[in-house]
Amino acid sequence: MSLSLAPGVKPRRWMPTLAAGLSIGEYARSLERRLALLTAVLLAAIWALSGQGYFWPAWVWLGLGDLVLLDFSASWAWRQPRGAVRRVACVWALVGAAAVILIFTWLLTWLLAGVHTFWPAWALLGLATSGSAYSLIALHDRVLVAHGRRALRARIDMLTRTRRQAVDAQAAELRRIERDLHDGAQARLVALTLQLGRAELRVRDQPEIRGLILDAQREAHHAIAELRDLARGIVPPLLADRGLVAAVESLAARYGLGTAIEVDTRRWLAPAIESAAYFVIAEALTNTAKHARAQRSWILLRDEHRTLAVIVGDDGRGGADPSGSGLAGLRARVEALDGSLLVDSTDGSGTILEARLPCG
Amino acid sequence: MRVVIAEDLALLREGLVALLRENEIEVVAQVEDGPGLLRAIAGHKPDLAIVDVRLPPTFSDEGLLAAIEARRRQPALGVLVLSQYVETAYASELIGKDTAGIGYLLKERVGDVRAFLDALHTVAAGGTVLDRQVVAELLAPRDGATGALSGLTAREREVLALMAEGRSNTAIAESLIVTPGAVEKHITSIFAKLELPACHDDHRRVLAVLAYLRVSK
Repeated sequence: MSLSLAPGVKPRRWMPTLAAGLSIGEYARSLERRLALLTAVLLAAIWALSGQGYFWPAWVWLGLGDLVLLDFSASWAWRQPRGAVRRVACVWALVGAAAVILIFTWLLTWLLAGVHTFWPAWALLGLATSGSAYSLIALHDRVLVAHGRRALRARIDMLTRTRRQAVDAQAAELRRIERDLHDGAQARLVALTLQLGRAELRVRDQPEIRGLILDAQREAHHAIAELRDLARGIVPPLLADRGLVAAVESLAARYGLGTAIEVDTRRWLAPAIESAAYFVIAEALTNTAKHARAQRSWILLRDEHRTLAVIVGDDGRGGADPSGSGLAGLRARVEALDGSLLVDSTDGSGTILEARLPCG
Repeated sequence: MRVVIAEDLALLREGLVALLRENEIEVVAQVEDGPGLLRAIAGHKPDLAIVDVRLPPTFSDEGLLAAIEARRRQPALGVLVLSQYVETAYASELIGKDTAGIGYLLKERVGDVRAFLDALHTVAAGGTVLDRQVVAELLAPRDGATGALSGLTAREREVLALMAEGRSNTAIAESLIVTPGAVEKHITSIFAKLELPACHDDHRRVLAVLAYLRVSK
């Protein structure tokens, strides 16, 4: 805020002039200092004219100086950063001002009244002690908080990093298990059915043995089918072989919803991210096919800074329950990767699933 | 018949070799990876290659790519691809524009020895054999463009599925326990409903059905 003088008032030289750019505080402070100076000079002149003797204006000077000093120290303290630092600055501004006043008063009593004892000593000691104690408490707290924050941030960084490592390790481990199933148990079972088939050819004339062999073969087939489903649940073969885009195209073709697919990413994706994106899309398409009665559906894969955005939508009847087991499971999977999953499914206006997966 | 086998798992490879040899099929080479398959085909000029989809070094779709490349270099070669899972996408790539001499089966089908040997002979003779899981996926009901399929009766759908697997009329009749005449009647009806040109050659018929299914996807 700035002050302007009333029209017609001619500014005096000793007044803070022309007002422009001065806040009320600045104006008042400037006025106060100049008035104090003027008063001090006037009193000294009166003392000189009135026959001198005991130099009484010194006491008035002390009073005026106190005001200016207090004002100066308070405004200095107020300029400090908020919080503990400003509080400590205010305390020391008061302590400092009080100490200066005490010492000045003592000087005057010594010079004018001949008092020799340094009587403010105990008061100064008390002021310094209490100021120090206050600073110690206030700033110690602050140091502790800062230290705590740093430790907390380091801990969060470490947890984020190790969680990601754990998730990646888990994804790699799952793929290894899938490969082991393929090369191990599944292959042995296939070899077993082959041997059983050869045996069956040799006992065509013994129906009882042949029946047993065929039973055994059927069991082996069930086991193979179960292992295949298990492996597919871990990582769909096309995803492992050809990556996310091929797997999603095949998925969309299988549902036959005429899904439009738009891919705007060339990024290499970690297995955990790829799997999560795949299962988000698979769940969304399953829901669309089962419940939505949609005319159109679409999939969008897009790079957004260091994030992969996976958006799957339809124009069906909406009303999906975000807390249902399928979506809740997906959310857990996405959040374990520090990602987010949004479900927008108002009644009658379609469903949109948006997953954002940080990758890099 | 002269056959090359590309399979990296020794247990299975040896089982296959034993099975083929005791059924008077000559195994001219056994290889473990894609480049090996291409070399064996160039060297031995076999009638048929039996190829596992997952082969070293990538253990992804190496075998499939090698099989497609082998067919490109030697179009008369029959290729039977075996896999522990079936992907319609892989079947489409393998079939390409021409289904002559192509097979795509789940690995465990080797257990049904006679059907497996039939499949080998069909593919080597330029026929087509598709796993029933692939066919089931091709025929799966969809919301989209396959309206004509829903006009088929349940029995006609069964016959269509078996046709798409590459079975002959006789085999279809046996499998459904009906007379060959009844199968013939169903086929005529299916072709009429799908507006496909009638044909009696097994191979051309499969071609027409697959072309229809792929277009209508």
